[in-house]
Parts: sequence; structure tokens; C-alpha cells
Amino acid sequence: MKYFSLDKLFSLVFGLVVFWFFAFLYPFHLNYQEQYQMFLFSVDYFRSFFAKPGGISDYTGNFFTQFYFYSWVGAIIIAVSLVLLQRAVWFISRKLEAKSVFFPLSAIPSLMYWGLLCDENYLLGGLIALLWVAGFITTYSILKSAKIRMLFVWISIPVLFWMAGGAFLLLLLFAFVYEILKRESKIAELSVWFVISAILSYAIPTLCKSLFLQYPLREVWIGTNYFRFPVNIPISVGIIVVSVVVIPFALYYLSKFIRKDNSKTLIAGQLIVIVLGGYFLISHSADMSKEEVMAYDFNCRMRRWDQIIAMADKKTPTTPLSVTCLNLALAKEDLLGERMFNYFQKGIGGLMPDFVRDYTIPMIAGEVYYHLGFVNTAQRYAFEAMEALPDYQKSSRAIMRLAETNIINGNYAVAEKYLHLLQKTFYYKHWANNALATMKDEKLIAQHPEWGTLRKYRTQEDFLFSEGEKEMMLGVLFKQARTNRIAFEYLMACTLLTKDLKHFLQYFPLSESLNYRAIPKSYQEALYYAWVTTNKDGSRDIPYPISNGVKQRFQLFQKMPGQANTPSYKNDYSDTYWYYLYFVN
Amino acid sequence: MSKISIFHLVFFLGVLVGCGGKVNPGDVSKEKPKLFPDYVDVTIPSTIAPLNFKAQGDYSAIDAVFEGKAGKSIRVQDSKEICIPASDWSELLEATKGDSLKVTVSVKQHDRWKQYASFRIHVSETPIDYGLVYRLIAPGYEVYSKMGIYQRNLSTFDQSPVVENTLIPGSCVNCHSFKLTDPKNMNFHVRGKKGGTILITDGKMNALMTKTDKTMSNFVYPFWHPSGNYLAYSVNNTHQVFHEEKGKRVEVGDVASDVVVYDVKKNEALGTKLLMQDSIFETFPSFSPDGKSLYFCRAAHKKMPDKYNEVRYNLCRIAFNPENGSFGDKIDTLFNATAINKSVTFPRPSPDGKYIMFTLVDYGNFSIWHKEADLYLLDLKTGQTRCIDEVNSDNTESYHSWSSNSRWFVFSSRRIDGLYTRPFIAYLDENGKARKPFLLPQANTDYYDQLLYSFNIPEFVSGKVEVDPNQVDQLLDSGIKKVTFKQ
Repeated sequence: MKYFSLDKLFSLVFGLVVFWFFAFLYPFHLNYQEQYQMFLFSVDYFRSFFAKPGGISDYTGNFFTQFYFYSWVGAIIIAVSLVLLQRAVWFISRKLEAKSVFFPLSAIPSLMYWGLLCDENYLLGGLIALLWVAGFITTYSILKSAKIRMLFVWISIPVLFWMAGGAFLLLLLFAFVYEILKRESKIAELSVWFVISAILSYAIPTLCKSLFLQYPLREVWIGTNYFRFPVNIPISVGIIVVSVVVIPFALYYLSKFIRKDNSKTLIAGQLIVIVLGGYFLISHSADMSKEEVMAYDFNCRMRRWDQIIAMADKKTPTTPLSVTCLNLALAKEDLLGERMFNYFQKGIGGLMPDFVRDYTIPMIAGEVYYHLGFVNTAQRYAFEAMEALPDYQKSSRAIMRLAETNIINGNYAVAEKYLHLLQKTFYYKHWANNALATMKDEKLIAQHPEWGTLRKYRTQEDFLFSEGEKEMMLGVLFKQARTNRIAFEYLMACTLLTKDLKHFLQYFPLSESLNYRAIPKSYQEALYYAWVTTNKDGSRDIPYPISNGVKQRFQLFQKMPGQANTPSYKNDYSDTYWYYLYFVN
Repeated sequence: MSKISIFHLVFFLGVLVGCGGKVNPGDVSKEKPKLFPDYVDVTIPSTIAPLNFKAQGDYSAIDAVFEGKAGKSIRVQDSKEICIPASDWSELLEATKGDSLKVTVSVKQHDRWKQYASFRIHVSETPIDYGLVYRLIAPGYEVYSKMGIYQRNLSTFDQSPVVENTLIPGSCVNCHSFKLTDPKNMNFHVRGKKGGTILITDGKMNALMTKTDKTMSNFVYPFWHPSGNYLAYSVNNTHQVFHEEKGKRVEVGDVASDVVVYDVKKNEALGTKLLMQDSIFETFPSFSPDGKSLYFCRAAHKKMPDKYNEVRYNLCRIAFNPENGSFGDKIDTLFNATAINKSVTFPRPSPDGKYIMFTLVDYGNFSIWHKEADLYLLDLKTGQTRCIDEVNSDNTESYHSWSSNSRWFVFSSRRIDGLYTRPFIAYLDENGKARKPFLLPQANTDYYDQLLYSFNIPEFVSGKVEVDPNQVDQLLDSGIKKVTFKQ
């Protein structure tokens, strides 16, 4: 096989591996990213990006990120982008007359960027900026006349600065080294060209800042949002960006040391380094515990309650946010009282997380409040999550929730505003059209399986939200809608998780309106425990229908000596309320 | 060829292509059209930007004829909205000053033209100031994203940033105010780790650290003394709570608040016990046009947030001596809102000294979140107060500001969708009667629908505001002055 085809085969395999990783191992990171932006097909939206250096890269990045809604499409986009970067680096290297045997090393920048993209806060716009720069360098390297090349650099400096931000300096850096190596121009000519280029490169961003850009100078220089937090740009970004220029020159110099252009050993050696290095890098960059939380959250967002429970059955979730999603799924499937202690529980942080001023926790906590019927709180959490986005984006998921909650509250004019925005998106347009049609008819809203129900559940009497009094709020909510089973189960879960059996016993009779066929298992366990521990003489029968299985298990539990972490306890009783009561702090 | 001729040529070509000749209404309605924005029978200044609009409902084309004095007219037709050529509009308004435009709107529905009854747009001879300055901020709760203070030329659609919070990441910019409408004398706050009060006096900028050991907070709500030598500020310890009932969202209130006066020349906050009482909430100060009275809102202290809905502010006055910065020794109540179980916010005296306009709510002081909030006018000559029904709506009317000649006022209202605050401008005639207000016109009629920001604190300015954001940044970095306190 000829080497030119081998390098293409390498690119293809590299792309397929990237695709496989993001499509099958890391898909929920892509879903997570998609929800924290809202790409609008509108002139104003484009203008808002065009007004800032690097904004065009961010705009292009956002355009592609909208397709992350389907993670396999996102995986294709990332794979193609990383392959394009690798091919551009290889093309530039070849233009520098690097030997074809070095093609595997051209994947280094792409490989490193892949590592960055494992972090949900690294945005596609950064990679797009790098592709623009690589494209300009490629074009530059094709030009044969030195004068045209120099002119091209001058023209490119403002254009590329506006498209890709400070990464435009790579072109200047490349061109400077390239011209020195080529020696096609006189030293004096080259010096003048370089000085003018340097002045232009310094003056344009500085002038833009002083004349009209209201951003810190550092941000003006960086331009593109590589990272979701524009004030922090990790050094790794700088290393990768510079590697796009360094690698071609490094390969050029390395080529001087080898005679043969077809050393199979050298190729194999490089491939081993790339594969092992890549494995090390990606396995250390990927955060599978976050991926798990994102999977729970995505399924929660998509109302795939059965999938959440199935995930938990495979591996019990342990982080508060994934437990929050699981508990909501159990409640939606009427299983919270029955099975909540089948899984890891640790206080009400995994039931109704406290508000935090960020964009992740309120979004997930807001799902709980929404399905409970705390419509205003769900609305507030969605709004706050969106406003907390450090890159000033709007969130399609939050806008949907704002539209929904306003429909439920009967604020149709505001809902319509949000729906009009969603009509300008690619994926949410259809949903928005349906919502607008539903909104025109009160009967349709009443019949809507979610909005109609939540309208019944939402509070009719005003009270103030109180983070420290969730139990009280749940009580008020349930008191007003005695069919709101989720509110009741959350109320009971609150008392169980805080080990407040007094209130559990006080609230339990409220379950009458819910017509349970049998008392859920956790409630039986709590009731039986409370009864046995308060009626030690055993003179009276328990007034609740407790199954014999529960009674027998409790008797065995009481007799069993040992520590919480002993295998026998864990195996036999970790799914009981008693185990939680005694051993979970 | 003049601009008008070119326009007419383009128009007639458009008509020929789109409508097969001319508009010939098949149906003539007795009803006036329902437009967005609602410009039917409004009163406008002659220098206002074109009042572009669209009709409500479905149609395939819309046609509008604007007829002014001396036979001047404009005709515009489009498939979606009426966008009036700026130069034609300007000439038409200039020619029609003191009179009114007759506007005839027709829409094409199911291939038939329907003509609505004509309406009037009154063109006042009374001038309006150069522009507006407002903050654009999402109507959120505790967290904020990108926001800024912007200026808008009222004669065009040009909007430009004065200062944006992107300048200092994580910051908030708020509470801009001007000495009357003078753009060279301005104040605003930057909140955050790198924060301070920016004070521009006669074009010279200073950054102030306004928290003193005798005041509970940084300076908050500002108002300039007409001399420019003083600014009155409230200092507030504010908290927020959130409603669960569908008609309400947020409640913002003070746990404690006082009023102080800042002496610009001495860099000193002046206080009096009368305005710093623990048993009283004092807030929203404003100076009378002669500079000898300080108006403010005053409420009996209540335990917050438990009794948030029992806090009611009266409109009060205390004498102020601008010669030496001293205060009077008694407080007068100008409007006893507690007597009618209501609460006053934002007292704003008209520059001619005739009126005080304020917002009246059921309780508390954060009227923007109160649907019942309405504008009221206190006639200082007669002492009579009346609800300005001419401009109020079923929804929130809150912040308001006077033009320099006291004949126009701008106010924020949530009447369009119940949440996003929009600026409306109204004319007040010589008898104190307001005319129907109009929404600040925009080039694109979908502008407000697409905008996820509220217009906050709209203030008139008599010229373009020149603030160097880089200087703001530098001063907050290294040039901040600490304010001292004197009682």
C-alpha cells in the first residue's frame, strides 16, 4: 500500500475512533453541551456574535453544536472537525517537505483537542477557530510568490482576528518562520514586512478594545470562547494552538534526520506512541462519573423514567444529582415509596437539591420542582440556570421550560415570546409550533398530559419559597391537591431521609386520598419500626397492614449483630429503611 | 432626483408588482386597526423616529397612508410590516407640527383588501430631549448574565452601549442617573468584586467607594441636586423572596434603609438622624427643582421578610439647605399612602416644580414586580393627587422620568406581555392631562418580541453620553476614592 493512501487510512481510522468514543462512550456530554446554547436562525443572532473578535468561530461552533441534540450527529461533527485539523496539519507539514513517513504525528494537535473536548466546558467554537487558522495557514503555504504571501498575511491579520480571535497570531508565527526558511526575500524586505505585520497584529486588537469593545483586553486578544468561562483560559489551550504550527516545523526538521521515506518500523513506532499516548490522554481526560450524571439528567429532561430506573438497576447512582434524577423517575413511575431505599440515598440533597448559583444544579433541581407542581420555582430555576451561563448564552432547554411554566401559569403572552424564539431553532421548532397551537385552546391545555396535570397540582394559595422548609412547602402543595401523589411521596421521602419519624407518622394518614393498593415498602418499614419501638410490650396490634415479609425481616435485622459495612448487612438490608436509619449518616 | 421621488418610484414599482396596480379596498371597516405597537391616536414629538408597526392578525399585505399638513403624505406597503422611510417621516412630522397625521391602514386578507377607519397621530410642537438612557437586563431573580446601560437617539433607531458588564466580568451595572438630563453629569454603580460608584461631573469621571462605617451599604438609589453639588442616595439592606402563586414572582424589600446626601465637592456623605432612623425605612430620595426640599419615601419598620406585605411607604419631604448641606428638623407627609393601604415608590418631581409623579402599589417598594403598580400625579400647587388613568394599564407601570421641559415623561410598563418591561413615552399638556403614550419605536416591529431584556430605569438625556469604558475600568482598578461620612 502506498504511503499517501496509508495516511488517509490513518485519518479515516482516527475519525472512526473519535466518532465511536463520542457516539457510544461519551454521548451525554454532547447532549449536555447542546442544552446550554440556543442557535437561532436570525440576523440578530448572527450580529450578536459578529460584534466581537472570534465571534464568527463561536457562531459556527454554536451552529454545529445545535446538532448535538442527537449525540451521534455531534460525534460525526467532532470526528470530522478533528480529522480536518489533522489533515490540515499534515498538508502544511507536507508543504514544508516533511517526509510522508511522519503522518501519524500530525494527529497530535487533534488528539490533544479531543482530550479537551472531554471536558464539557470546552466549546466547539475553539476548535472551529483553530480550523479557520489552519485553513489560512494552508492557503498561505500554497501561495508561490513571496510577495503575495506577505500581502496575504497583512490582509489576513484583521480578517482572521475577527474570525478566530487571537489565534490569528499563529499565521504570523508560521509565516515568519516559513519565510526565514524559504529565504526567497531579502533580509531587509523580510524585516520590514515582519515589523509591519507585528504592528498590525498589536494595533488592531488594542484599537478595537479602546474604540468600541467593552471586554477586558485579555478577552479581546483571546476572542473565541474556547472555554465556557471566558475569564479562564487553561494553558492547555495555548499549547494545543501553538502545536498546530510547531508540529509541521518539527516534522520538517525530523525529516532531515531520516533517509528512508518508507520505514515501516518508524511508522509502527509512531502509531504505537499515538495509540498509547492517545489512550492515556483520553482515559485521563474523560470523566465518566460526570457522563453518568449527564445521562441521568438527559433522560430526566426527555422524561425517560424507565431508562433512568434501568440505569440505576445496573449500577446504583451515588452522586446527589444522579440520585435526584433517580428519585424523580421513581416518583413519576409511582415507585418512590416502594423502592427508594433499593438505591443509595443520602439525605434530601439527593431529593430536592438546594439552589446554587450555577447552570447545572438549578437545571436538574428545577426538573423536580416542575414535576411536583412548584411551577414558579421551576421557572425561576430555569431562568437562573440560563442567566448563570458564563459565556452569556441562552439555553434552549431553559427557554422551553420558561415557555411551559408560563403556559401552565396562563401567562400566554410571555410564553408566546419564548415560543417565537424556539420557532427560529432547528430542533425545537416543531415543539414550539405544537405548543403555540395548544396554547390557543384552554381545553387542549387542560387535556395536556403534563401541563393540564400541573395546572391542577400547582398552588392556588400564595406562599413564599423557603429552601429550609421544603417539607412545609410539600405539605402545603399536597394539601391543596390531594391527588398529587408525587408531592405526597416527596413529603414522605423528606421525613424518611431526615429520619423524622414523628412527622412521617403525622403525615402518613394523608395517603388515604391516594388510594394505594398496598402501603409502599419503605412506608411499611418505617411504620413497623416506629410501632415496634414505641410499643415494646407488644400488647396491641399494629393498626396498619404490614406484610409478614417486612415484619420477619425486621425481626432478623434486629437480631443481627455487626457493622453497617459488613457484607451480610449490606446484602440483606441495604434496601431497607432501617439500614438507612441506622447506618447512613 | 430627490429622496422622496426615489421612494415613490420604488413604492409604485412595488405596488405594480405586488398588487397589480393600486390598493382598492373591498371592505371598509368602521373600526380602527389593532396595531403593534399601538400607535392609534397617540401624541408624539416631531423629532421622534418613524413609528413602524404591523397589524394584528393574519394578512398577506399591509398598506398605510400617512397624510399630514399641506398635502404631504407617505404611503408604505409591505407583506409584513409598515417601515416608514426615515427622511420622509421626518419631513412629514416637521410639516405637521402642532397638528395631526391622518393614518389609514389597509390589510389584504384572502386576496381582498380591508380598510380600517383612519386614526390620528398628534404631532406636538413641544420638543423632546435628544434621547433615552436605560439599562437592558433580563427580568431575572438573583443571577444576571450580560447586561448594560445603553443610550438611544430618539430621532433615529441608533442604540449604543454606555457601559456593559462584559467590561468587568461578573459585575453588574445599575442605577444610572443624570443631573436633570445633562449627559455630562452622570452617576452609575458597578457592583461586584471590582465595583464602585462612577460619578461624572462636568465630564470628569471619578470612582467612589461609597460604603462608610456609618452607613449600612454602598449608595443605592440616586438623585442629583439641581446645582450638581449634591446627590441624594438611599442606602439599603435589601433581600428577595419568591412567590409560589402564579400571579406573582418576586418580592424585593429592605430589611433596613436610610437616606443620605453626598457632597460632591467634599467627597462626604451627609446624614441626619431624621433620615436614618432604625424604626423607619427611608428610601427613593429626590430633590425639588429649587434644591431646597428633599422628597423621599418613608415607612414604619416591619420584620422582614415575614411582614413584607405590611410595609407601606408615604411620600415625605424634609428641607435641605444647599448652601451648607444641612437638613431641616421636621418631616412633612405630602401623600399619606398608608391611610389608603397603599405604598409610594419613585417620587420624581417635574423640573418645572409643578408636580411629583410617583408609583403607587399595594405594599412594599419594589413596584416593578407589582402588577397593580400605577402612576400617580401630585399637583404641588393644589395638593391634589390623581391616578394617571390616561397612561396606566392593567399591568405594571413603574419607573418614570421627566423630560427637561416637564412636558414629556417616559415610564416603564409591563403591559405588553406582563414580564418584559418596555419604555413608553407620554405627553403631559399644560393642564396636567396626559395623552395616550406610545411605545419607543424600533426599526423592526419584531424587536420587542425577540428581545430577552427589560428596559430598566429609562431616563431622558439632552445629548449623547460620552463615557470612556476603559477609564471606568482603570479607575475601579486603581483610582477609587473612599467616601467619608458626616452627621
